[in-house]
Amino acid sequence: MPSHPLRVAVVCSSNQNRSMEAHNILSKRGFDVRSFGTGSHVKLPGPAPDKPNVYDFKTTYEQMYNDLVRKDKELYTQNGILHMLDRNKRIKSKPERFQNCKDKFDLIITCEERVYDQVLEDFNSKEEELSQPVHVINVDIQDNHEEATLGAFLICELCQCLQHTDDMENEIDELLQDLEDKSKRTFLHTVCFY
Amino acid sequence: MNFIEEEDAPKKAKAPCADLTTSEKVVELLNQAALIPTDEKLTVLKQVQELIINKDPSLLDNFLDEMIAFQTDKSIEVRKFVIGFIEEACKRDNELLLRLIANLNMLLRDESVNVIKKGILTLTQLYKVSLQWLVRTKVISEMQEACWDMLTNMKGEVLELLDSENDGVRTHAIKFTEALIIALSPRTQDSEVPKRQENDISLDKVPKDHSYIRYDTLCEEGKTALEKLLKFMVHPAISSINLTTALGSLATIARQRPMFMSEVVQAYETLHANLPPTLAKSQVSSVRKNLKLHLVAVLKHPCSLEFHGQISTLLQDLGMPQSEIARSTPALREQRKRPRHEQYTEGKKVKIEPALIDEDEDKEEPAPPVPKPAPVPVGLSAIDLTAEFLRPLLTPENVANLVLISMVYLPDVMPASFQSTYTPVESAGTDAQIKHLARLLSTQMTAAGIGPGLEQSKNKEASEEEGSSKDPLIKRKSQMVVQNISVVGGHTEKTPEIPVMKRLPEPILPTAQPKMPGASGRKKVFRLSDVIQPLTDSQLENLSSKAVKRVLHSEKSIAQSGMAQVRVKLLSRLVTQFEGMMKGDVLEFILEDIRTRSDLAFSLLYQEYTTYLSQMPSGLLDSYDHCLYTLLSGLQEKPEQRDGLFTKLVLEAPVITDSALEVIRRYCEDESRVYLGMTTLKELIFNRPSRQFQYLHVLLDLSSHEKEKVRTTALSFLKRMYEKEHLRDYIEKFALNYMQLLVHPNPPSLLFGADKDTEVAAPWTEETVRQCLFLYLSLLPLNHRLVHELAAVYTEAIADIKRSVLRAIEQPIRGMGMNSPDLLLLVENCPKGAETLVTRCLHILTDKVPPSPELVERVRDLYHKRVPDVRFLIPVINGLEKSEVIQALPKLIKLNPIVVKEVFNRLLGTQHSEGTSSVSPLTPGDLLIALHNIDSTKCDMKSIIKATNLCFGEKNVYTSEVLAVVMQQLMEQNPLPMLLMRTVIQSLTMYPRLGGFVMNILARLIVKQVWKYPKVWEGFVKCCQRTRPQSYSVLLALPPAQLSSVFERCPEMRDPLLQHVQLFTPHQQAHIPTSIMTILEAHKKPEPKPVEPEKETEPVPKPATAEPASASAPESEQNERHGEEEEPMEQETVNTASQMETAAAQETSSPTPETEEPMDDTQPELSDPQQQAEQDREDGNGNEPED
Repeated sequence: MPSHPLRVAVVCSSNQNRSMEAHNILSKRGFDVRSFGTGSHVKLPGPAPDKPNVYDFKTTYEQMYNDLVRKDKELYTQNGILHMLDRNKRIKSKPERFQNCKDKFDLIITCEERVYDQVLEDFNSKEEELSQPVHVINVDIQDNHEEATLGAFLICELCQCLQHTDDMENEIDELLQDLEDKSKRTFLHTVCFY
Repeated sequence: MNFIEEEDAPKKAKAPCADLTTSEKVVELLNQAALIPTDEKLTVLKQVQELIINKDPSLLDNFLDEMIAFQTDKSIEVRKFVIGFIEEACKRDNELLLRLIANLNMLLRDESVNVIKKGILTLTQLYKVSLQWLVRTKVISEMQEACWDMLTNMKGEVLELLDSENDGVRTHAIKFTEALIIALSPRTQDSEVPKRQENDISLDKVPKDHSYIRYDTLCEEGKTALEKLLKFMVHPAISSINLTTALGSLATIARQRPMFMSEVVQAYETLHANLPPTLAKSQVSSVRKNLKLHLVAVLKHPCSLEFHGQISTLLQDLGMPQSEIARSTPALREQRKRPRHEQYTEGKKVKIEPALIDEDEDKEEPAPPVPKPAPVPVGLSAIDLTAEFLRPLLTPENVANLVLISMVYLPDVMPASFQSTYTPVESAGTDAQIKHLARLLSTQMTAAGIGPGLEQSKNKEASEEEGSSKDPLIKRKSQMVVQNISVVGGHTEKTPEIPVMKRLPEPILPTAQPKMPGASGRKKVFRLSDVIQPLTDSQLENLSSKAVKRVLHSEKSIAQSGMAQVRVKLLSRLVTQFEGMMKGDVLEFILEDIRTRSDLAFSLLYQEYTTYLSQMPSGLLDSYDHCLYTLLSGLQEKPEQRDGLFTKLVLEAPVITDSALEVIRRYCEDESRVYLGMTTLKELIFNRPSRQFQYLHVLLDLSSHEKEKVRTTALSFLKRMYEKEHLRDYIEKFALNYMQLLVHPNPPSLLFGADKDTEVAAPWTEETVRQCLFLYLSLLPLNHRLVHELAAVYTEAIADIKRSVLRAIEQPIRGMGMNSPDLLLLVENCPKGAETLVTRCLHILTDKVPPSPELVERVRDLYHKRVPDVRFLIPVINGLEKSEVIQALPKLIKLNPIVVKEVFNRLLGTQHSEGTSSVSPLTPGDLLIALHNIDSTKCDMKSIIKATNLCFGEKNVYTSEVLAVVMQQLMEQNPLPMLLMRTVIQSLTMYPRLGGFVMNILARLIVKQVWKYPKVWEGFVKCCQRTRPQSYSVLLALPPAQLSSVFERCPEMRDPLLQHVQLFTPHQQAHIPTSIMTILEAHKKPEPKPVEPEKETEPVPKPATAEPASASAPESEQNERHGEEEEPMEQETVNTASQMETAAAQETSSPTPETEEPMDDTQPELSDPQQQAEQDREDGNGNEPED
């Protein structure tokens, strides 16, 4: 076991579904976890594909919830959005944007390649001061409820494996390879520095 | 997880110190810290740090020792905290470096990698801090010198951690290297400077005249670090994380120190073209993503202008659209005003204005028109030069050829790195693309150590080396890594003892001192042993076998490159050295296509043998044996193998082991390859004298093989070998031993393949007997002397074996021929019990050719002097004198009918259809006459009749002419032979046209008073009866008494004869005596008294003394009775053939000797039944009616 619990960040686009599902599960398992979105706005499905509900990152889940109830309670109950927001608001008050976060992590898990790129871009644009490494791993998860749940379990397994290594940095490579084989998925993996 | 409690801990800790002074608080907290658990301890210590560094730095010195004491805490986190504290403390008060640097040094050797990592991070900071501090200080104290020396030392050690076995440690070492390179190189106006690092030290801030810090040295160290980093990056087994880190570091270096832009871009290019093969697919994607990211970052830097071509081609290859590349490229105008980045030379005067007359080493531009090798400007690397060189050569034709050539080297499976890196070439054929291609090729060539660019830069380095020899520490970058390391080593060598003597002792750490030498001892030139860890046996085996497999399966590509021999050698060496699966794999591989892989097979075999030889006194051949055995079996089991590889392998193998010999044997047993196999064996026998008998033995064994083809081939080989003097004895002995087995009552198990010489209960069969004889019999014609051995064995053998032997010897005996002295000797000696053998030999010899006089002589001798068995004579009968034959005839015809038949065949020359048949001492006529003249006391009439029937059976021989002559001669004999009339009648039956001749005979018989011979007379009457009306004139010529005797026998003849006479003209009738007429007409008169027979039992006719009339009646009665006994004459001719057939059938169906045979109980029949059957068939044909 490493000397301290891993500080984990789970990042998706809007900090609603995939990252929050993982956040939920990881915090239940006792991880030091936070979740973020990398998008410029928070987008939720709307009445039509070209009419999403767009909020900024300052909007709380509660507010979104109420907004949607007002707009079309039945639709948003049907597609599970309200249920999701309800869960989210019990975890934290509002979505957070990754780029605005000053905290340091040991491990950042992204849920989509685009998000991964944005995280890397963010690190690249920031000035490095501590040379302290952080591992960034992308686990591709489709943005729907079922996949989010499955993905969250995979992320959880990944984190548990990493948490239980004696020397995370030395073993992460091999561990990821094993997990790739096991889960039949591919992970992008890199290291960034604070 | 108890980190939630952390929230409470500070509260508890803080509570008591609320009202105290800072100093008291610190004391309180430190006391607490010693006793509480780790998590709380950290919180407490952090408070102390805050208090003594930020709140009241004056306390720092006081509590320094107490804080540092925690560096031996058992908690990793606490030790890491101490490192952080050291950093903060040193930053706050640079003087503390003197005291704390050794602590840091110690913590860098901590057992926990996390502590080491933290140490590296801190050293990154403190190195810069201390450099800045020392640069500021004009007068450097001894302690400061020692401190700096130690730092330099630590720096070197951390650089060496690039080779650490821990991935995370390496990552940190890379970052350290990055920071070091930036610190130890000058910041220029192009340099990007992160805000936070604005005040950081860089080389340009180091005065060149500093009393202790050497600008040149630092500069050189910076470059060395870059080289180390570049070298590290091209390591083929670099982990993806390290690679990612290094890529990022290079980007940072390029942006902050544009002077290294060229190296960085080149490194990117090289990497892009040579992604480490160890990377998994997903890792390749990650790395490429990073590469793209960093390239864009570099591209955005103004100084990247001159590399835009390369960078954008790379980005294109990485899949970035042209538009996006353009977006990332800074505006061109901005660039133009800035010239090429300043020439950066290591501490020498910068020569911005190059003069052609000047030393050419620092020239900025190459001078293309100059015919001599263009001087190498610093900015142009070997890759650039080679690329320039290649570019004009890349014509479409050349490129097409290159592609075609390289096709054959393509691996079977697309490597993960290629699969993800491949992007279609969009701009094929354009100038930019050709340029890129030239660069790619150049990168590869330079990496492989070839190309004009490399040579030029080497030349340049050589000259620079000379030029810069004033400072031995300045070494060139492309020197081998060993040299680089030795630079570091050389540097540290002279320093270590200085800090040890000068440095302040650490207050709380007695362990610090002893650790030092150990630490410096760790510094080895190359620390391979440190970076490798022992693998488990199975891992080892797995890895090595995989490695061998790779070599094994790269057959094609290696063959293309002309290194096939090396591969073969390598494989055979490797495989012989390692036990285990590999050997099997390689052998299997060879056998898959042995024709093309035979060189590998041989090499392997020889290598095994060499290994065996090298362990000579105690070495085992097992491994070699296994190798040879597997190869040979593989070949043997392969269905089609005509090219003699098997033979070649056998003949070229240094040693033929027992199991290999077994395979050869199996090979020989394969009918389709028996010839090849035995040729191989023969070669072995002739060419490997040391063990030739062992090989010979195999061949000998095969000579009794159950498969005929195997056997006959083996025998023919052996026959040829038998002619060799040195092999002769062995073969002969074997053959005789084998034959000797026949004396056993049951066949020994040896014959059934088992090795034990026990007897098994199975009886001898034809097969097993032959098995014992094959070899012997094929040798026999080559060495006639051996025949006596056969006779010896024969006499001892049981009857079944004897019979089989007799059947088996035909060929060889015939081969020997009757002139063989040994065979003659055998006949002469005729060992007791071997009579049948001898007879059989005689038969075989004379079967087709007439007996030689010598043979006849021997047989005659044998017959007369030793074994008076007439059967000996049969084979040579045609070689005997006429008188001898006639003398033997009575005995001969008493033999088994089949034998008699054979004798007659021989005598009559009807034995075979060929014209070579012998000339019989007797003509057919002689024979028939001789038969008639046999003394009936010596032979019963039945046998004689049978014998004559045999003669009549041969229609071809006994033609009407022959018979006429015979009848003529017989008739002239006196007394008349008893069977005369029988023969006459039979002749007449066969040839009715002989009628006239027969009438003549009959007439003459009347003159000879035929009625005096009762038997003949009887026949005479019968004959007349058959030949009427022709015979009427004969009858009329009989004396009256005899005529009436005729009528008594055949009353039915009277009337026809009378009528015949009544048809006569009166003139003719006048010639007929009245006595005759009386008899003819006297059918109502009482019969005259028949003539009494003189002697009833007398078979030989005697001249009758009684009157013919009186004698005829009783004689005929008697004769009739006699005729019944004798079998009716008419039937005889008809039945002869069928009787012969049944007799022959009986004979063939029961080969057991007939008890009536006189010679020997165990005696089988004399003539070959097969032969007999043939004769029967011929007889059948002969019986067909003529005309």
